[in-house]
Amino acid sequence: MVVVGYGVQKKKEVTGNLAVIKGAVVADKPIQSFEAGIAGRAPGVQITVPNGVLNSPPVFRIRGTNSISLSSYPLIVIDGVPSFTNDYSSTNAAANPLASINPNDIESIDVAKDAAATAIYGSRAANGVVFITTKKGKAGKAKVTYDGWVGFSNPYRLPSMMNAQQYTNFKNAAVANNPTQSAVQFNIATGANGAPVNTNWYDYVYRQGISQNHNVSVSGGSDNTTYYFSAGYTAQQGIIRKNNFDRLNVLFNVDSRVNKVMTVGGKISYSNEKNLAATSSGSLSGEAFNTAGLGRLALVLPPSISPYNPDGSYNINGASIGYANIVGTSVPYYNPVPQLDLNRSNNEVNHIQSNAYLQLKPLNWITLRSTYGIDYLNIDNDLFWSPVTGDGYSYNGYASAIFGKYKTWVWTNTAQFDYTFAKKHNVSLLVGSEQTRRTSLAYGINRQGLSDPNYNLIQAGWINNNATGMGYGENYLLSKFSRLNYDYNKKYFISGNLRQDEYSALGVKKGTFWGVSGRWDISKENFWSSAKLDHIFNSFSIRGSYGKVGNIAGIGDYTPYSTFASGLYGGASTLTFNTVGNPALQWETSKKTDVGFSFSVLRERLSAEVAYYRNNIDGLILNVAQAPSAGLPSNPPQNIGSMYNKGVEIDLNARIIETKNFSWNSNFNISFNTNQVTALAPGLTNIQTSTSSLETVNRTAPGYAVGYLWVVRTAGVDPETGRRIFLNAQGNKVYYQYYAPSGQFNYSNADGTKYIGPTGATSISQANDAVMYGNVQPKQYGGWNNDFRYKNFDLNVMLTYQLGFYVYYGTNAGLHDQRFWNNATDMLTQAWQNKGDANKLYAKPVFGDNVSNGSAMPLDINVFKGNFVKLRNLSVGYNIPQSVLSRAKISRLRVYVSGQNLAIITKYPGPDPEVSSNGNSATAQGVDRNTAGNARTITVGLNVGF
Amino acid sequence: MKKYKYLSVLALGASLLFASCQRNLLNPVPQTSISDASAFSTLSRIQASVLGLYGALKNGNLYGGRYVIYGDIRGEDFINQTSNLVTGSDVWALNPTNSATAVVNLWAQAYYTINSCNIFIDGMNAGGSAIAGPTLSANYIAEAKLIRALCYYSLLQYYARPYADGNGSKPGLPLRLTGIKGVGQSNLARSTVADVYAQVIKDLNDAETGLPLNYSSAYNNTTRAHRNTAIALKTRVYLSMQNYSAVITEANKIVSATAPFTATSGVANALQADITQVFKTPYTTTESILSMPMTSTAGDYPGTQNQLAYYYTPVASLGGVGNGEYSLNANGIIADPTWLPTDARRSFILQTGSGSSLKYWLTKYKAPSPYTDYVPVIRYSEVLLNLAEARVRSTNTIDPQAVALLNAVRNRSDAATTYTVASFASANDLINAILKERRIEFLGEGLRNNDLMRLLQTIPAKGSAQSKGPNDVGYIWPISANELALNNLCTDN
Repeated sequence: MVVVGYGVQKKKEVTGNLAVIKGAVVADKPIQSFEAGIAGRAPGVQITVPNGVLNSPPVFRIRGTNSISLSSYPLIVIDGVPSFTNDYSSTNAAANPLASINPNDIESIDVAKDAAATAIYGSRAANGVVFITTKKGKAGKAKVTYDGWVGFSNPYRLPSMMNAQQYTNFKNAAVANNPTQSAVQFNIATGANGAPVNTNWYDYVYRQGISQNHNVSVSGGSDNTTYYFSAGYTAQQGIIRKNNFDRLNVLFNVDSRVNKVMTVGGKISYSNEKNLAATSSGSLSGEAFNTAGLGRLALVLPPSISPYNPDGSYNINGASIGYANIVGTSVPYYNPVPQLDLNRSNNEVNHIQSNAYLQLKPLNWITLRSTYGIDYLNIDNDLFWSPVTGDGYSYNGYASAIFGKYKTWVWTNTAQFDYTFAKKHNVSLLVGSEQTRRTSLAYGINRQGLSDPNYNLIQAGWINNNATGMGYGENYLLSKFSRLNYDYNKKYFISGNLRQDEYSALGVKKGTFWGVSGRWDISKENFWSSAKLDHIFNSFSIRGSYGKVGNIAGIGDYTPYSTFASGLYGGASTLTFNTVGNPALQWETSKKTDVGFSFSVLRERLSAEVAYYRNNIDGLILNVAQAPSAGLPSNPPQNIGSMYNKGVEIDLNARIIETKNFSWNSNFNISFNTNQVTALAPGLTNIQTSTSSLETVNRTAPGYAVGYLWVVRTAGVDPETGRRIFLNAQGNKVYYQYYAPSGQFNYSNADGTKYIGPTGATSISQANDAVMYGNVQPKQYGGWNNDFRYKNFDLNVMLTYQLGFYVYYGTNAGLHDQRFWNNATDMLTQAWQNKGDANKLYAKPVFGDNVSNGSAMPLDINVFKGNFVKLRNLSVGYNIPQSVLSRAKISRLRVYVSGQNLAIITKYPGPDPEVSSNGNSATAQGVDRNTAGNARTITVGLNVGF
Repeated sequence: MKKYKYLSVLALGASLLFASCQRNLLNPVPQTSISDASAFSTLSRIQASVLGLYGALKNGNLYGGRYVIYGDIRGEDFINQTSNLVTGSDVWALNPTNSATAVVNLWAQAYYTINSCNIFIDGMNAGGSAIAGPTLSANYIAEAKLIRALCYYSLLQYYARPYADGNGSKPGLPLRLTGIKGVGQSNLARSTVADVYAQVIKDLNDAETGLPLNYSSAYNNTTRAHRNTAIALKTRVYLSMQNYSAVITEANKIVSATAPFTATSGVANALQADITQVFKTPYTTTESILSMPMTSTAGDYPGTQNQLAYYYTPVASLGGVGNGEYSLNANGIIADPTWLPTDARRSFILQTGSGSSLKYWLTKYKAPSPYTDYVPVIRYSEVLLNLAEARVRSTNTIDPQAVALLNAVRNRSDAATTYTVASFASANDLINAILKERRIEFLGEGLRNNDLMRLLQTIPAKGSAQSKGPNDVGYIWPISANELALNNLCTDN
């Protein structure tokens, strides 16, 4: 049975495109939320874990990116209640609300992809719908289980950085190449023991994270009442120091049949999560260029200076690190050690998800059901910056506390009629109505200037007080929906879905969405068997669907309204025009086509599903700038852009070996996706999306996939002079030297004359010379899962892969920047040194040069193919034989060792091509800028059943 | 019986299915802002909206800071210290591009303020006036027109050729006089300079009629427009148009015939005995005809890198409160020997360092972060000097009244210098003395650019920046790149 939205259906009878993932695949994994564990588990499902920060929401796409300015995150429906998604944190510790569902409590994850499967969710269905079903009890004796593991996480593939001696020599040589910087001098500081300092900053930023996880569940019931109760505790340490995730959760599910007609039941789930971090990791969206960013500090800081002075005190110079041994240039970055010791950037989530239902079955073909559900998310943010150094220095201490309260209630009423006419005509009709209400409220205080240096709480004494984090919103979705399924003799299936939504946040409130689909089980036809095809195929069916759904994810609550906001003029209240609404704004429209076939052969040992899809998206909401002289305070949202995704999905399942003692089951899936933007707004030729406001490398333009990389091309390094060779927009070579001796130029032509571009520019710039360079959306992705069993041993080998995309490794620009920044060791061999050095990757090192290797503008030398194959999971388990267990009254005991991300095959030079410096941004994927990479984790655990 | 039971269950089910929905929730009213539909529905909202127009004018990109700063750094009396494009090093060097921070942001903020005025006037005409009553309604609309006029006048000073170049026949600005609340109205061609000036004068004439004579507090008399404000601004505007007889007509409305020169009707605008009092709390003397008030509450001060004291005073270690973005040009007006060391206005100059590190800084604005100095828009001394100059130019004589007006400004800060008619060899000499007095008196108040422009004078060289003659590229700013990209009818300079 699979969940189809307001009901369940037999998988074989489903006419839409639905993928089913068993809850077991995410259980006992060192993850915080279930999505991080479903990469490669189903065709069409693309998961990118963006960084090594605990509980940051994975990039989750179903069949490509389906929006530009709204969210492309699928709708997540947990036991019938749509959940909150994305990051709710206001601090540097991520808070994915989906982490409140303990992965061990999940029974199944059903992924609806096409219009037929999603249309029942109407205006929210364009990004796909994911149904999470939590575990329920089964009638019978109470079953008690315990599952626990201990894990060890480490960073991997960190860039190899110069040591203190290499750094000092290299930088001094670079200084010698720049006569204007002759005052600069690099020396090695002396440490506490009198020895020269040689700091490996990785040691101070990263760690081996040790995690533990415990779950206890009790389930069972009588013929009339069943229950499932579980309690979980997890305490996980990330690979970045002080980055922790602690969760305590309980879940209680109960169903009770009161009499022949009435059934009642419900669920209560409560979770408390502490997301902890000391300071910015530099890895979450918006953090890439944080001066405090730990991922960046570990790379940029000179190895020749120590975090501590010889007397053991912090080596600091005001806000930044102390650098007495470096003369003539400043090191304006922070010392990570006091930041880790003294600062906090935490949040705590309390999350309640609950529902209750009443079901009546007055006749055996009529089911009436009313469900009321809530999802209440409270988050407490606690940020403190010490006055000693770093971010808090200039404020003399800084703290903010923000409380956010996010509430949803959903009331769903359905009537289902199932009837079979004349034994062969099976009809199932669903009609229903639903109301969804969401409110949000947040407030906070920001305090600056500590009254006493020993204080570190927001409640202590401070000088300045300001409001912060104010938020207020509400929305309401009123829906009616219906589904009609009909099949003739389980051979021809047709289905229609219809939903009408009215949404408060839109100008045009009402929209109607629909999907139709059909399936033909050809193998049940007489001609099939008369053609003897049944000797080959155990089953063969074709299916297709078409429909129209919408997207409203992430839209503001008051978009139809133009508003005036309150401000101040000399202390008196003012009202000023601050937001331009659009009373005609409506949802983004997604028209989905899906056709496919499925079959099984070899006595059903090999089964396959193949689907082709095309998703045309119209009315993309873009905030379209008007002429500044129109004097509008904001860019009004308009339904104006268009885009498509199309592709093929193949899913193969095989029971390759089946013997008494040995079995091998394998699943292979691959998804091909092509994304293209077909239109933006008049006057809007492209949309540039920056990484943390400082660097723009993604550009979205018609004719290209969304968020295409937009960089300046290079043509290597001149063997004669060591100059970087750029290509201008016309493809002509332009030679660059950071230091131009008298009579020469920074930018020159091959003959040494001053470069003057076609527009008169005398330098290479991204605006003039960058080209649309590379696609960041994987063209192929999927997974290959293998389960082996030999007697009591089990082995799981899970590979995932993403192919056909590029990643801008912006970090690499920093690793080769010729300011005081530390460099990667490849600079020792790959930088031009002497006349005649051919095929060098990096220009002649000239102190101060931030242009040649990509810091000043994004260059093609830092764009790499992201193709990877990962050994996502490898686990070996052993089931203690029953003969041993029965004496201890234990029904099941399994011990296992499991590894995550143990190996990766890729040509990508950074830590991990599975990365996103811009989080879930639709238009800025494929960027790796100072991001702390993913963790490699080994867990040891056991599963016990009583 | 059984049938009845089933029917009742079915009825229950049907009623649940179409359970009481709360349709009113589909039309939420914003709770933390005011819908445009109701912005003019009560008197308090109308009053807050009027102040909102001043708030827009006070934005750090406009009269809260940058408009005033650009007016001085384009001239010859300041030297750029930080080479930072964000703080106008290109404005100083007279070579900002179409997409320069200054060019784009000032244009956008001025037009945002203009559109806010237009929306306000539309809103009043569409029902707000009925709520405010005829008197207040006339007052408020007059305030909106004055602010609109000031914005158009200010834009003309940077983005259009001076009036003197072809009597206003050159391209001016897109002239927008009705409120815009949505899409589709981007395209509008530039009117001529003369057309825009005509609109400015029309608005100020309307404002003079509609504004109150005065308010009940010194604070409001400085921070909100009253009748004398409209008249004072007209003397500035007519001077820029070289319409000297109109300057005289307007100025005479608020300058008494004999010393001490004061306004005899409306707010009793007059020079203060001590100029330093004008730039101190409470900043609300009768000399400050209009100033932008600041407080230390978030959102009520100029904001990052917009503050006069941040630009002109050095860092704390050198005795300032700012970032030392611009020092005074040692070869500029401060080098003038006739500006005596005993002149009270020399107290606004701070000297730091010695030898090659010797620098001079303007400390007229000195309130520390978050920089709460009121920013002057127009002071009474300007009206006096406008009148003096207009009298000399219109009569082309060494006008005794003009000398007396000049003395009024000079003597109050420098008792040692008293000009007589005999001090000047020619009318031109007197004009030059008045222009020099303006440089001394209004140093750091943003008038230098306008004075150079209206007379089509060459902008002198300073530091590493070269001079720009009236026909050089860079004499005026280019048009905002965003405007050119989105307004198909707009042309560049």
